[in-house]
Amino acid sequence: MIYYTLKKKINVLRVIVIIMISCVILKLGYAQFVQYKKIDLKATDLWERSFPLEASRGNIYDCNMEVLASNLPTMSVVVIPFQVKDKETVSSKLASILECDKDRLFEKISKKASIVRLSPEGRQISDEKAYLINKEKLSGVYVVQDSKRYYPYNELLAPSLGFVGIDNQGLAGIEAKYDNYLKGKNGSLNYKMDAKGGLMNGFISRMESPVSGLSLQLTINLQIQEIIERELTNAYAKYNPDTILALAMNPNNGEILAISNRPTYNPNNYQDASQEVYNRNLPIWMNYEPGSTFKSITFAAGLEENKFDMFKDTYYDTGSVVVEGRTIKSWKKGGHGLQTFLEVLENSSNPGFVEISRRLGTKTLYEYVKKFGFSKKTGVDLVGESSGIFFNYDDYGELENATTAFGQGISTTAIQLVRAFSALINGGRLYVPKISKSLILTSNKEVLFDFPTIVENEQVISKKTSELMRYALESVVSKGSGRKAYIEGYRVGGKTGTAQKAKNGVYLENEYILSFLAGAPMNDPKIVVYVAMDNPKSTIQYGGTIIGPIMKNILEDALVALNVSKSNEGIDFEYTWMDTKTYEVENYIGLDKSKVKSKYFRFQFVGDGNKVLDQLPKVGEKIEEGKTIVLFLG
Amino acid sequence: MKKKYLKPKINLKILIPLYIILIIGIYMVYSSSKIWANYMYHDSFYYFKRQLIFLILGTIMLIIGYKMNLNKVKKNINKILLLSILLLILVLIPGLGISRNGSKSWFGIGDFLFQPSEFFKIAIVLYMARKLTDYYLTTNKFFKTIIPFLLPALVGFLLIMLQPDFGSGIVMLAAVLIMCMVSKSKFKNYLIIGLIGIFGLGILISSATYRIDRIVAFFNPWKDPLGSGFQIIQSLYAISPGGLMGRGIDGSFQKFFYLPEPQTDFIFSIFAEEYGFIGSFVVIVLYIYLIDMCFKSAIKSKNEFASFIKIGFTSLIAVQVFINLGVVVGLLPVTGITLPFMSYGGSSLTLLMFSMGLILNQSLEEST
Repeated sequence: MIYYTLKKKINVLRVIVIIMISCVILKLGYAQFVQYKKIDLKATDLWERSFPLEASRGNIYDCNMEVLASNLPTMSVVVIPFQVKDKETVSSKLASILECDKDRLFEKISKKASIVRLSPEGRQISDEKAYLINKEKLSGVYVVQDSKRYYPYNELLAPSLGFVGIDNQGLAGIEAKYDNYLKGKNGSLNYKMDAKGGLMNGFISRMESPVSGLSLQLTINLQIQEIIERELTNAYAKYNPDTILALAMNPNNGEILAISNRPTYNPNNYQDASQEVYNRNLPIWMNYEPGSTFKSITFAAGLEENKFDMFKDTYYDTGSVVVEGRTIKSWKKGGHGLQTFLEVLENSSNPGFVEISRRLGTKTLYEYVKKFGFSKKTGVDLVGESSGIFFNYDDYGELENATTAFGQGISTTAIQLVRAFSALINGGRLYVPKISKSLILTSNKEVLFDFPTIVENEQVISKKTSELMRYALESVVSKGSGRKAYIEGYRVGGKTGTAQKAKNGVYLENEYILSFLAGAPMNDPKIVVYVAMDNPKSTIQYGGTIIGPIMKNILEDALVALNVSKSNEGIDFEYTWMDTKTYEVENYIGLDKSKVKSKYFRFQFVGDGNKVLDQLPKVGEKIEEGKTIVLFLG
Repeated sequence: MKKKYLKPKINLKILIPLYIILIIGIYMVYSSSKIWANYMYHDSFYYFKRQLIFLILGTIMLIIGYKMNLNKVKKNINKILLLSILLLILVLIPGLGISRNGSKSWFGIGDFLFQPSEFFKIAIVLYMARKLTDYYLTTNKFFKTIIPFLLPALVGFLLIMLQPDFGSGIVMLAAVLIMCMVSKSKFKNYLIIGLIGIFGLGILISSATYRIDRIVAFFNPWKDPLGSGFQIIQSLYAISPGGLMGRGIDGSFQKFFYLPEPQTDFIFSIFAEEYGFIGSFVVIVLYIYLIDMCFKSAIKSKNEFASFIKIGFTSLIAVQVFINLGVVVGLLPVTGITLPFMSYGGSSLTLLMFSMGLILNQSLEEST
């Protein structure tokens, strides 16, 4: 047996050792319970990597669910650096196929990351390149499915639609504005990565599925949009203006049916266009003196305030009028003489509108301009709207009042004019324009949300005034300055405009903005169209003569697209020597060949015989003077 | 007399927990190293196979230690000590010693390496045991008796520090001091030694910048998370997320190259990650039980020499267990000490098993 003192000391030692090692247990417990949350979070950061799974972007449709923007499947290259054995060879081979810098590629695939996406050089590559890469069978290099935004109609609606970047993120226009809805929610493939950049084998990865973006339905009508694009393209080529724009709206709810301008760009290759082109949506951005189109507003204000009876009251246009020492001339030398107020509008007589401005007074007209929504943004759901320019009331005297009355001294955007004009003819209701109709679930096309129609002012003018305006505006087209837009069978009403361009407060010689603002049919308006052309080259500088035919083409086709049937109840077209008259075709069936005669038409006979069996066109149709009628003989 | 002499039974209260720890250990060597082993040698079982050989060798060493007639060894202790000091000197000579991880601590050819400091530990414990037994009654005279006894240990310590192998040096010195402390000498003397020790330790630490970094990293590992704080943080990243239950069998993330050489110093981190607080608690209690049973057998020894041998070898193991676990859980600065019976390593395992054999030695149970 050993000494008692030794035993006692060993027992002390036992206790001390037990206590000391127990301290380890305490510290262990502290690390595993108290620090658990904090450290676990940090450590998870260390182990976990995620590979983004891109959500497919929602489509953009027109009002009839025609696709305006969708996605095309493409190929992209991803590299797993850990699996790449010979980085030199792989980067030089990839560089030669992808036509990019080898060193930059080498740098990218040498990153200590688990998966490297070769962006932008390896994004959305052609099938051919994808094939070449796959053929090389490079270890660690994968060609994966990707998607690319696709605009099937190229330039169509481009300034409003906008475009997306390489990561399918909305960069401009509707694509940018509704990006949050369209882009969806990207998912991710989460997996554990070891410290050398490889995958931890045997650990199940978590996958968060991507959620597809919502689709957006626009109020745009593809057919009308195509008509407008066609007309803009033609006019842009023919007259070579600085810019040309067009806007069509449903006057009964403020929905934009078509909107476009030139110059434009192709959103599929937006990189080729300049920033000025794709950032400027001219119908909402460009503001300028509206010229005579604005007279319709002044006229309505006069009617609403009972300042004249447009059929009975008259005004004598001597050719000029002096306001605060400044002479305001009529566009027709010597003036239009004695006219009813309806004729003042039809003839677009400036002195006549000075008279209306005087009758209204500064305060009232100023208020009407404001009430019709000028000099402020309309609130349309498009990016880059301007508010236009108008006088401060303090600076608004009799002269300003007079010029405003015929559309000078005020600067407006196309969309302001169109919605004010819509209020003129729809019974007096001023809408907030909109281009988004609804949000749609991409998978089953279920409508999730309808963008509301917002009325800004229930009654800018009374229903009665609106009715009078419809008549007056139709009369402008049938008899007055807007005659070039007259369409047989459709009751078109509108107002032309020719505004001299101003730069730094000085009017430019021979630079005009020609415009036409019209709606149809006037008995039940379905569409308002505005076309403006900035500085056309080498042509007669009047809105009516140049824009009139364009307006006619647009309205004629657009009304068919809207299923509006023709009627013959409108105000009869009044001919001037410039116009070709139309006449009703008489009946020739049953007549002898020798009896066929007409003051207006020529004839072409088909077949042998002396008796007319049939005719084209049929009886009662109106055709232009000098046209040929085909008669079938038997 | 039916029996000529009673054959003493081997102490199963020590042997059983020891082999439980060894089995857990060899499994953990496999589990923690397989990713690295596969990466470096394309063989997940690379370390496991070797550790299995070491375990068999260790068992043989344990049996040798158990069967050895220590009473004979006792007479030759001085020679053994001299030999061990000679080896410590030889290992420092360029061309003879082999460097691993910056320490010139090894002899050997190829994979078969021998660490003279391990041999010295055994020799010094035997030497101290003999001296303290022989002069037990005068051990209360600290300066006259104890201080001279400590001289060989200090020489050995300095030689080990020249390698340098701070961990082995500290463990050896601590065990020797514990042996002295359980003798009749007064505790207050060790306070003085302690103060001198702290002072000496300060000089030692400041003599190498990597040791200063380790101390700084101990107090704030996030200061240099990729440098000196790296191991502490990676160990914590293993332990903390283990939580109460752990990630389960083979569930460690940190062994995927995050924790360098997970089969050696930080093997317990991986264990704590996979088996959580509950598993770790069980293993630590097993260690405590094993150590306590060894001390208990020291109390029950038939003579002082046996008692001091058991105290010495048990202390070697206890100090090593405490320092390793302390480092792993962040209680102590990084020292580079392996966990006895669990960490991978042949030299360490075989000599530790030999020590266990000596603790269990049958000749010690014979009364003299």
